[in-house]
Amino acid sequence: MQVGLKIWRYDAKTGDRALKEYEITAPEEATLLDCLDIVKDRHDGSLAYRKSCRMMICGSCGMRMDGGAVLACKTRMYEIAQAGHVPVISAMGNLPIVKDLVVDMEPFWQKMRAVDPYLRPRYDQAQERENVVSQPQMDVIHKESLCINCGCCVSECNSMESDPDFLGPAALAKGMRFVGDPRDGATIERLERYSEPHGLWDCTRCYFCNERCPKGVDPRDAIAKLGAEAMKNGIDRDMGARHAKWFVTSAKTTGWLRETELVPKTQGIIASIKEVKFAMGLAVKGKVPPPFPPHVAADVHESRALFDLVKAQGRDGAAGIVQGERALGRIEAHHEAAGGRDPYNEPDSAPRPFLPSEREESEGVAAT
Amino acid sequence: MKKVAYYKGCLASLSAKELDISTRALAPKVGYELLELESVTCCGAGDIHEAEPDYYLHLNARILSYAEATGCDTLMTVCNVCTLNLRQANYQLQIDTGLRERVNDNLEQVGVPRYLGTVEVKHFLWLIAGESFAELQAVAHKGLKGLKVAPFYGCQILRPSKLMGFDDPDKPTSLERIIEACGGEAIDYPAKIKCCGFPIIQAREDTALAELIQPIEQAKEAGADAMVTPCPLCHLSLDAWQSKLKKKTGKDFQMPILHLSQLVGVAAGLTDSELKFRRHVVSVAPVVEKLSV
Ligand code: SF4
Ligand code: SF4
Ligand code: FES
Repeated sequence: MQVGLKIWRYDAKTGDRALKEYEITAPEEATLLDCLDIVKDRHDGSLAYRKSCRMMICGSCGMRMDGGAVLACKTRMYEIAQAGHVPVISAMGNLPIVKDLVVDMEPFWQKMRAVDPYLRPRYDQAQERENVVSQPQMDVIHKESLCINCGCCVSECNSMESDPDFLGPAALAKGMRFVGDPRDGATIERLERYSEPHGLWDCTRCYFCNERCPKGVDPRDAIAKLGAEAMKNGIDRDMGARHAKWFVTSAKTTGWLRETELVPKTQGIIASIKEVKFAMGLAVKGKVPPPFPPHVAADVHESRALFDLVKAQGRDGAAGIVQGERALGRIEAHHEAAGGRDPYNEPDSAPRPFLPSEREESEGVAAT
Repeated sequence: MKKVAYYKGCLASLSAKELDISTRALAPKVGYELLELESVTCCGAGDIHEAEPDYYLHLNARILSYAEATGCDTLMTVCNVCTLNLRQANYQLQIDTGLRERVNDNLEQVGVPRYLGTVEVKHFLWLIAGESFAELQAVAHKGLKGLKVAPFYGCQILRPSKLMGFDDPDKPTSLERIIEACGGEAIDYPAKIKCCGFPIIQAREDTALAELIQPIEQAKEAGADAMVTPCPLCHLSLDAWQSKLKKKTGKDFQMPILHLSQLVGVAAGLTDSELKFRRHVVSVAPVVEKLSV
């Protein structure tokens, strides 16, 4: 097949930057990485990119295609080429570019190091018997253990773009991998550390990390698990944590969020006084509902009773999030979309992910 | 007229009442009778999901159960965050029957009907850009007269796409199609799928404002007369926090921000009292003026 690629070339030493177009011939099953190899072998030996395993386990080949981070070795080109689309390939975001598609991963590793990405055992002497971890205990950190440190999640992280010091999705997911490990003895210390500024409460919940991660780690969900574990352990001084707690109080007392009290509950009385002028501006527009009488949902006693019941059953912390993971894992990426529309079937939409085996099968059926 | 259960969520009940009012006025014109759920609470946003995840699941199960009790197959939302939370809980309950049994036993104990899993959660945007697009085209007759509108999707109506699934998460088209059906011109700009900063606007104001400025600045530079969003939280930060952007950066954008129901409502000829533009912080007057000539 013929494949067209537009590649952003860049050299940090000279500052030269150019969008170059390449037209190559590649086998139908070629991935983006295979195509880059062809470009480098036969067209332009100066192209720089990283690779090693070619099978989605080393995490070297993260780059952007049409602005979204992908693993080059996971991305099949057949449908894209068939559609006549010429994708733009560029280096990942939120990391400094060294040359062409190669980024400097140092800031990524710095943040990894900052979360102590290794087991800090609870015991200091060798155990008499091996330490058996049960399957349900492993399930808690199963997804987080799949991370291959590729950086695709970091590439489009909205909070990191605005705050380069934010620990970010990969490092926090790694943190959860150890917070949820029953053999680790530093849980509280970890939760305290991750709850500091630029930590777990700085995530803006944009869900780009879940969308981009090629391994199903779902870093945003890992961050929610960390938040849940922090709250369970009473580590809730951060404004983000206080904000979250106020939602719970609202839901079980009036049913609806008591917005007016949210600012003082989150920021504390002193800080919120500074907000008064801003709040007055909103109040004039009816944006600040009067606190009394609070707007109360009908039958809110049910909501309160549910809270007591659920608390007594003790599925708080990460366990409450993990219980739903199995179901979410079973949603097919191509499930029949709500509203009966297929997101890959619009004139402008991205090409449907394709595996050669799928095509042969359907062609075989058509032939008989 | 199709009957749908209507969950308006916290913001549309309180600070964004104009969203509720314009949605109620518009819905019958595009073929929907809204059955409002009375005995429901907040969906918990990302906050209860994080603070008390098991309670989050039960709160949402309760909402879904009361929606099912109306006999409707659709629970209509008007907020990105409600949509994600309800859809996520709904999938968990629909797919994992063991989990649903446990949650249902708890619901039953406090007097809530068991949830059978028959409801589909859909944002109003998906209804009018999808199954009711023809009705939308029919009522948008009054037209936006070429008004330049920048669509702002926000995050949780696009991602994670395996839970949402209506638009392509990187190249969505539903708002553009609606703007064009209403006679407006859809402005394109890269930050339309990014975050408005709302979830951390209180706890991390600087980071949030650095996120918020991108869509507003880009829309302004692309020549937009107004922006439209399907999410009342995006609306609140885009509209109310422009004053903070001005204080911080000196840039006074004066960008009018419309709720989806208001934008379509203008084209469908809703009245002032149904649109409630007076409740906005940034004046919508320039838009109204443009449309009245
Ligand atoms: S959800 Fe949080 S961690 Fe993930 S990309 Fe967005 S801001 Fe970053
Ligand atoms: S979480 Fe996913 S996207 Fe992020 S570094 Fe790990 S494997 Fe890559
Ligand atoms: S080359 Fe190893 S992950 Fe792509």
